[in-house]
Amino acid sequence: MQQFSAWVESTRLSQALFDTTWLWPACESLHFVGLCMLIGGAGLLDLRLIGLFRGLSIRDVKALMPWAIAGFVINAVTGLLFLIMQPHLYLGSAVWWSKVAFLAVAATNALFFESRLAVPALALAPDADTPRPLKIVGAVSLFSWFAALYCGRMLPYLGTGN
Amino acid sequence: MAFFRSLQDSAFTDWFLGSSSIWTYPTVLTLHTVGMAILVGASFVVNLRILQVGSAVPPHRLRPLYRFVWIGFAVNLLSGVVLFVTQAADRVADPVFGVKMASIALALGFGLWVKRRAIDPPDAPHMTDARSRALAAAALGLWTVAIVAGRLMAYLKA
Repeated sequence: MQQFSAWVESTRLSQALFDTTWLWPACESLHFVGLCMLIGGAGLLDLRLIGLFRGLSIRDVKALMPWAIAGFVINAVTGLLFLIMQPHLYLGSAVWWSKVAFLAVAATNALFFESRLAVPALALAPDADTPRPLKIVGAVSLFSWFAALYCGRMLPYLGTGN
Repeated sequence: MAFFRSLQDSAFTDWFLGSSSIWTYPTVLTLHTVGMAILVGASFVVNLRILQVGSAVPPHRLRPLYRFVWIGFAVNLLSGVVLFVTQAADRVADPVFGVKMASIALALGFGLWVKRRAIDPPDAPHMTDARSRALAAAALGLWTVAIVAGRLMAYLKA
């Protein structure tokens, strides 16, 4: 992994990006904006799946999903740029790999919802309580997004790779 | 100014920034990010709805989201005061910090104005009025400015 990380950092792409001094802070700012779009949109759906916000139909809340997905894409792209610029900060860090694991849980959970649970969920009445599988999916989603946020923000302090 | 200097040079600051514990600066900083996600996330959703994103959602039903706005704001006011104290003299002299504070004040104010116009009335119409939409668009822009200014403060240190 250290060799891979050293190789990435030796590429012209990595050096050119890292030498662009404004790029790192610009990516950080975008990463925060994307985070708010993702947590705002996905969070409201998660809360509805848990059973809060009765009166909102799951179908209507899903209209916000393109914004949540756009936030996720912004953060995937800016995250990838951080990784290309300074791979040694991440690839050797257990905290970063934990973040990746939480993101994988969140993504798998979302795909599971879309493929297995979305059809009956969209048919629920606006005022209906949600069945237990939906409550679990909503709680897992909220937990894993915030866990990913925690790992990302604490990364510099919980020990980084080198 | 001397007051802010004394805060920045206080024993509290030395302890808070000098400690190797993750429970001081790193945890307060992370709380500030969690609060931002809740505060700005909820504000984004409300303001997007005012701009007719998810127009099938009855605006009045989003009223409970303001609870999250206030929870996120409370977390960030408290964590923000602590972070400010430890850099008080630098921050009061920093125009980027001023931009951040002004953006937050305006974004919250516009958010409350939108709430009274387009969310609070139980029979609030699905099609929001032009002034509410203008306020919501401004609030979205101001939250983005606040986030960018907050991030840049770390780079544009006096």
